[in-house]
Amino acid sequence: MNTLVSRFTSSSSTELKALDSRDPDYGENEASDITWGSLGGFGNLGLNGIPSFNIPTVPDPTAFLRLHTDDAADSSCRIKIQHGTTTLAFRFQGGVIVAVDSRATAGSYIASGTVKKVIEINPHLLGTMAGGAADCQFWETYLGSQCRIYELRNRERISVAAASKYLSNLVYSYKGMGLSMGTMICGWDKTGPAIFYVDSDGTRLKGDVFSVGSGSTFAYGVLDQGYRWDLTDEEAQELGRRSIYAAGHRDAFSGNTCNLYHVKEDGWKFIGNYDITKLHYEGSQGAAYGYDQRTQ
Amino acid sequence: MQYNGGSIVAMVGKNCVAIASDLRLGNQALTIATDFEKVFPITDRIYLGMAGLATDVLTLRERFRFRVNMYSIKEEREIEPKTLAQLVSSTLYERRFGPYFIEPIIAGLTDSSKGSQPFIASADLIGCLNFAKDFVVVGTAEDKLLGVAEGLWEPDLEPEDLFETISQTLLNAVDRDAFSGWGAVVHVITPDKVITRTLKGRMD
Amino acid sequence: MECQFGLSGNGYVLLAASTTAVRSIVKMKHDQDNIKVLGPQLIMSYSGEPGDTIQFAEYIERNIRLYQIRNFHALRPSSAASWLRRQLADSLRSRNPYAVNILLGGYDNATSKPHLYWMDYLGTLTNQPYAAQGYGSYFVLSLLDRYHNPEASLEEGLETLRRCIDEVEKRLVVSQGKYIVKVVDKDGVRVIEL
Repeated sequence: MNTLVSRFTSSSSTELKALDSRDPDYGENEASDITWGSLGGFGNLGLNGIPSFNIPTVPDPTAFLRLHTDDAADSSCRIKIQHGTTTLAFRFQGGVIVAVDSRATAGSYIASGTVKKVIEINPHLLGTMAGGAADCQFWETYLGSQCRIYELRNRERISVAAASKYLSNLVYSYKGMGLSMGTMICGWDKTGPAIFYVDSDGTRLKGDVFSVGSGSTFAYGVLDQGYRWDLTDEEAQELGRRSIYAAGHRDAFSGNTCNLYHVKEDGWKFIGNYDITKLHYEGSQGAAYGYDQRTQ
Repeated sequence: MQYNGGSIVAMVGKNCVAIASDLRLGNQALTIATDFEKVFPITDRIYLGMAGLATDVLTLRERFRFRVNMYSIKEEREIEPKTLAQLVSSTLYERRFGPYFIEPIIAGLTDSSKGSQPFIASADLIGCLNFAKDFVVVGTAEDKLLGVAEGLWEPDLEPEDLFETISQTLLNAVDRDAFSGWGAVVHVITPDKVITRTLKGRMD
Repeated sequence: MECQFGLSGNGYVLLAASTTAVRSIVKMKHDQDNIKVLGPQLIMSYSGEPGDTIQFAEYIERNIRLYQIRNFHALRPSSAASWLRRQLADSLRSRNPYAVNILLGGYDNATSKPHLYWMDYLGTLTNQPYAAQGYGSYFVLSLLDRYHNPEASLEEGLETLRRCIDEVEKRLVVSQGKYIVKVVDKDGVRVIEL
């Protein structure tokens, strides 16, 4: 293995493999049993639980990736990673409300309006998606399988704190390599409803109210003002919807629809999918959300 | 050009033309206003739309009003669409080395003594004119508009059909653009009247 | 880093501006008045590049006053806004442009209606029922979409304004300190203690 790879392996616990046909493992890996086997697409992570990825054979792989994907530094870069999002979650008397928008943008182009930004990790855990869509999707699904293994080993469900810590440690081991995610791990465990904010910097925060993404400030504006611990279930769901609507209306990179989830003691429940323009003109329970419609 | 957002499209029909724009005024990703018009009447049968930097849209609206008024006083007649196009072009080229950051669209009918022929044109920010026989598009959603218009437009549409075509083109194109939308306004210019309608659009 | 908010209600316009003057990492002043009274029924809040703000505001203030002296009547809000916009737009393409963002509030006696204008340093002008400038706008615009009422009494308007200030205090990294609040209505301009 070349010196480059060993440099990376020493700086992180993750084992990395150069994408190099001269590597004796290369051909074997491509067609090995784990690639085509029943590991549900996580074959590359190996059987010992230590993930490994192929990396480009250039002097500085991280800089290489950034050169082609960093929209902020160079907007003419060829690969545009999905960004621009509004996600929120808050804890209250009746559990946890999770609400997200569904827009994916690549530059100014709205690539999709039907993205699922809530990842159903297992029946008691939800993760939200902001930043790199693939990063969030992959690692939170992976987290799901690890949580299941925990359950089988320990004969009890993993706590939200433990699950989020697992994810946090995992993404931290890739720090500086271009992972991009800002996620909220939400669920209900022995301690009651819980939310943890985890991002790719390695930050992990426990809290009552979080919002992540380009539209988060707009969501906070409505969320903070309407938030109380003793909200009823209906009030809390309405607040989640309204906050996502607010962000969808003001932020160019958020919108299309709102997906709403409610986590209670017996697990999460999907409440509904709401078109943000419909919320603007008609509202969800009779009263329209739009300013002109509201004040007419 | 993406700082404030906004898009405009104009189309030719049978003895009529239509011009439509969205209503967003943004500050990059932040939407400031949803009632910002970008299309202005120049005469009873000529409209001028400008997409791009909002301050220049406002400045040039004033400038063009002044220049067109001076023209009609001197010539003692209304300006013709093709003359306006040249006037717009030369006004923009005057600032060749420090341009106004707007792209204009002109839509109108020629004088009735000349048979009320439909006329549309667009230009780039330093005044290179583009005369088209079908449709013209400018703004942050121009690539999307071009694609939709290419699919929907057909020759010799009656005013009501042209209204439908231009409305659907604009609304569907801006729904795929993050910087345009938040409502729309459409003007259909016919020899005897101008039909102006405000459309409900997606508000996100 | 400064914040400004403005909102109109039933027969009035409220403007609020943060009073801290910052230089580098130091707060130089805690009671800076960033709202100029331009006429008997016209007020303007401003923020932006230090130096430019005060120079520009004073230039505007004196010229609006000059108009009033020459013509024996004050400019109406819409005319003042147009003139102000032109000053900024012309300045933008000069050798040394002013970088000043403005909210203009006025009460038009002719129509008995309040007016609020949002204007940025480029000379972009728009008439709005409520507006905000600075980083605070990212928090309060959605809040005002939700809570602003064009028919609100002054007391209710101030309540909404307090919500805005609380929200910015809660979420924005840099604390804005105190705000100065001025109202303009049919009786003229007053300072309001929140």
